[in-house]
This record gives sequence, C-alpha cells and structure tokens, in this order.
Amino acid sequence: MNVGVAHSEVNPNTRVMNSRGMWLTYALGVGMLHIVLLSIPFFSVPVAWTLTNIIHNLGMYVFLHAVKGTPFETPDQGKARLLTHWEQLDYGVQFTSSRKFFTISPIILYFLTSFYTKYDPTHFILNTASLLTVLIPKLPQLHGVRIFGINKY
Amino acid sequence: INHIVHNGGLYKRPFNEAFEETPMLVAVLTYVGYGVLTLFGYLRDFMRQWKIEKCQNATEREEQKDFVPLYQDFENFYNRNLYMRIRDSWNRPICSVPGAKVDMMERVSHDYNWTFTYTGRVIKGIINMGSYNYLGFAQKTGACQEAAAKVLSQYGAGVCSTRQEMGNLDKHEELEKLVARFLGVESAMAYGMGFATNSMNIPALVGKGCLILSDELNHASLVLGARLSGATIRIFKHNNMQSLEKLLKDAIVHGQPRTRRPWKKILILVEGIYSMEGSIVRLPEVIALKKKYKSYLYLDEAHSIGALGPSGRGVVEYFGLNPEDVDVMMGTFTKSFGAAGGYIGGKKELIDYLRTYSHSAAYATSMSPPVVEQIITSVKCIMGEDGTTIGRARVQQLAENTRYFRRRLKEMGFIIYGNEDSPVVPLMLYMPAKIGAFGREMLKRNIGVVVVGFPATPIIESRARFCLSAAHTKEMLDTALKEINEVGDLLQLKYSRRRLVPLLDRPFDETTYEETED
Repeated sequence: MNVGVAHSEVNPNTRVMNSRGMWLTYALGVGMLHIVLLSIPFFSVPVAWTLTNIIHNLGMYVFLHAVKGTPFETPDQGKARLLTHWEQLDYGVQFTSSRKFFTISPIILYFLTSFYTKYDPTHFILNTASLLTVLIPKLPQLHGVRIFGINKY
Repeated sequence: INHIVHNGGLYKRPFNEAFEETPMLVAVLTYVGYGVLTLFGYLRDFMRQWKIEKCQNATEREEQKDFVPLYQDFENFYNRNLYMRIRDSWNRPICSVPGAKVDMMERVSHDYNWTFTYTGRVIKGIINMGSYNYLGFAQKTGACQEAAAKVLSQYGAGVCSTRQEMGNLDKHEELEKLVARFLGVESAMAYGMGFATNSMNIPALVGKGCLILSDELNHASLVLGARLSGATIRIFKHNNMQSLEKLLKDAIVHGQPRTRRPWKKILILVEGIYSMEGSIVRLPEVIALKKKYKSYLYLDEAHSIGALGPSGRGVVEYFGLNPEDVDVMMGTFTKSFGAAGGYIGGKKELIDYLRTYSHSAAYATSMSPPVVEQIITSVKCIMGEDGTTIGRARVQQLAENTRYFRRRLKEMGFIIYGNEDSPVVPLMLYMPAKIGAFGREMLKRNIGVVVVGFPATPIIESRARFCLSAAHTKEMLDTALKEINEVGDLLQLKYSRRRLVPLLDRPFDETTYEETED
C-alpha cells in the first residue's frame, strides 16, 4: 500500500478535514451523540447536554491534539511524525476554513450547553474547563508546543 | 463538473471530460465507514496490546519495549486494521501472460488475510481488466514473440553493463532511431525502467534555481525526479489552465523567492493520460501557454503513447499538434508495447546531453536485447512497416472498445471519471468496504480488476480502475459489462445522477423529449 501514488500530496491527512461532506458528517455525529445521550432515561436534559459537551471535547482532544503522526507511512521522511492532527492540518497554515470551523464548533456547543443547563455553577465549571482543554491547543502560539514535555515523542 | 470544450481554434474535436461530484449522502456514509473502521482499529489494537488477541504483526522484543519504537506503531495503523482486511484484492499471483485473459493462482486465507495458502488450483481464463495492455501486445505467440526469441538466442538475455561502458548494443541504436521516427522527433534515448527514466532524467535537466510547475496528480516517478533535482516545485490544480497561467505569471513577475532573480528555467511537468483519473491533458492550451511565457514542457506519455491518436502516436497526434512544440517527450514501453523501459525524445542536442549526463546512462544497466526486439517489432507493427495492417486495426479496436465501454457504463448509471477517449476507466466506489467487496465479487465472476483506495486516492474517492485493451473482443466486454452490472446492483454502486438517454450524447434536460415526441 503506497501513499501518494496517484497524486503529489505528501501527507493526505492535511486534506481530510477539507474534503466534501466532512463538516456535515461531524455535525451529524455530534447530533447523534446528543440524541443517544438524551434517550438514556436516567439523564436529565442539563446532564445530557453537559455530557455531550464533555464527551465531544474529550474526543476532539484525543483525535486532534493527542494522537500524533499519520496512520500510514508518508513520503515526507517523518516530518509529520511528531505533529498532532491539528498541527498537520493544511501543512501548518493558520486560520484556514477548517481550522476556523473546528474552533467555532466547540464554542457553539458550549453556548448551547450553558443555555440548557440554566447556567448552574457545577455544570458551568465542568463545561468551561472542558472547553478550555479544547480551545487552548488550537491557538497559533501553541503550534508545536508541548507543555512540560508531555506527548513530545 | 462536465467540461465540453470547443475552444476556438485550439481544439479540433470536442474535449469531453467529466468528474461528477460525490453525492453528499455517499460522502457522509464513507466518513462514517472510515470512522467505524478507525474505532474498531483502536479496539483491536487495545486487545492486541493487552494480549487478549494474538498480535500477528512484527513487534519489538520484550527487552526493547522501553526504547524508541523500531516499528512505528501508529504509522502501521492503516496497514494493520484496514489494508489487511481487504488485502486479498492486491498482489494476486498470476501464472500466464497477462493478455486479454489471464490465469491466476487461487489462494485462501484462514486467518483473515494475515497469511495466504495456495489451494493448488489455477483459475483459468479470467478476463483481465487491470493490465496496461492497451494494444494487446502482451502475447506469447505472434511476430513479436518470434523476433524476441530469435534475438534471445543471438544476443542472450543480459547486457551486463551500462550504456556508457560496454552495454551499448546495435539493437539499442536501432531502437532509438525507430522511436525517434515513430514520435516525429529528431532523436530519442531508451532506458531500462520507466520509473527510472523520470526520476533519473529530470535531475539532469533542471537543478537549483529552476522552477518546476507540476500537475497535482502527477505520478510518483515525476514527483521523485522533481524532488531529487533540487529545483523549486509549485503545483497547479489538475488540468486547470487558469491555475497554471497564474503560477507562470507569478513566477516570471516575482522571480526566485528571496533574491527576486529570474528563474533559470521553468519546466512544466504534465502527463498524457493520468492513470488514476482517466483524464487527458489539455495539451493545446499548455503549449499555447508555454510559448507565451517561454518555458519548457516535459510530457510524460506513459499511458497515452500507442493508446491515443489515429495511428497510435500519442496525445500530440490526438490533438493534431506538432511534436516539435513539446521540448521533452517521455514515455514508457511498459504499457502499449508490451515490453519494459522508457524513452525520452526531443531535439538532438538535448538527447546528446542526456546521453552524457543522465544518471541512468551512466549507472544503470541498459535494456535487455529480447525486450528491445519486442519494442522494435511492436513499433513497426503499429507504424505498419511490417507489411500488415495489424497495428492500425489494433489502434482502431482500442478506440472502439473505449467508446463502447464508457458509453455502456454511463448508461448503467455508474460514476465514471475522465475523458471520453481515454482507455483508462475509473469507476467510483467511494466506501472502504465496497473496495474489498468489488474486488472479490469480480474475481468470483472471473474478472480481474484493480481497486484503489485511501491513501493512494483522496479519502472519499476510492475507485476501481479498468484498463481497456485492443485484445478485448466485444464478447469479452459484454461479459464484463454484464458482470459489472450485476455487481453494481448488488453493491449499490450506481450513484450517477445523470442518466444518459441511450441515443443521445448529453444528459437529460428539458429539451430531451422534444426530439423523440411525435
């Protein structure tokens, strides 16, 4: 299995988030997660929303900011091996439309969650903490930064 | 997107290309498919790590677990969890000459494709829709084979030297003169390997301080050659002349990045037929741009030589252009001529330069004599110089097969990419599971196809690629089409939104019924 035999794209991972239908699939996935959580009878509406927010942010953190490298060998001799998927998007160019979309969507989810939890203090603390874990790694100043050497290699 | 271009005087015939867009539902389902596969991949990796499941892959020894990983675990993820599941569609061992029909050794796997065992049976007579056998010269009988056998007994099989030392046979000189005459250029040089022709000669032509403008979908050999040369590479969108012109203008106006000096050379790298898309390069426009901005053109005719044009001379003849306009005409003998190797044709000074400075000429062994004789015989056959009309008939048969096959597939409702006249027909599959399913179902019905998926193609555009041949008779094509129809219904592959009325050349619109109404 050879990466890039049909095109000169060195790292296909950079283009995945721009492809047709990806944003829609992501939105539908979040919607599906929320519906599943709402269907569980033990959770009240605020709990379901907070859980949606937390699970979504956890998933986003793991897949975009924790997992490094590519799931296939690329012909770029390992340049992207130590970069997370977020850092690989569009080869490190900041403020592209995918990056903006994935920065704005947790914020929108946060607004909705805050509304549906009626701004309750416990929920607020949980949601805000979880939002910060997902927003701070997206800042351009933190491109390639590994705090305390966590996740460096 | 459907382009039918009648661009003033540049194109002498309609240039009809279509790349229908992925239906949104299909795209969403494809992502869901990859998502499910990824989650299951993580689950299986977890089970393998905690020894719940046996790990079949290579892992480090216990003592080395704390070292830097030798087998990069995550880079192998796709290979372990996706590719392994459908691995039986690739690397199938064939045991006969890959002509229109081929024999294949049957193999089964009892541990989900991690290991294969041969049952000992040979599946005979599989219709071969995957070989690049455009003119049907992959034969074991016929004039080519007899000539090659004679040369084998005369010269032997090996040359044991490079072109510049003791490996320059009179057969090579004869071949090069013949190829130059065939293409209509002043001089040509032949190399032993098509990939190496690109990757070893582009560094000899351009270097640091030059600019290479290469198409988005260029083959790995061109990309490798461009990277090895050390020149600056800029990529323009596939077959998009506005993108190319913009890059040319920017390059000439701004010059080199920091020093603003003018570029030493600008080389445009394009291919004749792009094998993954089935599209043909817009050569008249490229040549017009090349002349306007005074740059050089390197045309890689790997798939189009022998396959396009009324007498098989490639994409330059297809468009009715002058071969002298293309500065470097490169091609391979692997596809239409049934041999191995590549050539570069151009002006005499250029080829003399390459004879001295090309890496292949200096370090690589020259072509083997029987292979050279096969090429000489097949080129003479195509040109008609062997006294028969076989060559002409084959070129026409290929064109008819192409038109017929593409028309029938479009009528059935599949999404087919590429130009109407290209013998490479990619049929879109989109979803990862369908890649494996299509390959297996076609093999069950005795048809061999090539399927490709991510990451060799963009993530939602996995496809099956049919390569038509002049050796395919209409009956074979009809059988293949019937089976493809069945498999298409079974796997629900008929995504096309445009239904062609069988007698018309255009999709349905509001005027369609006006012609057939009484």
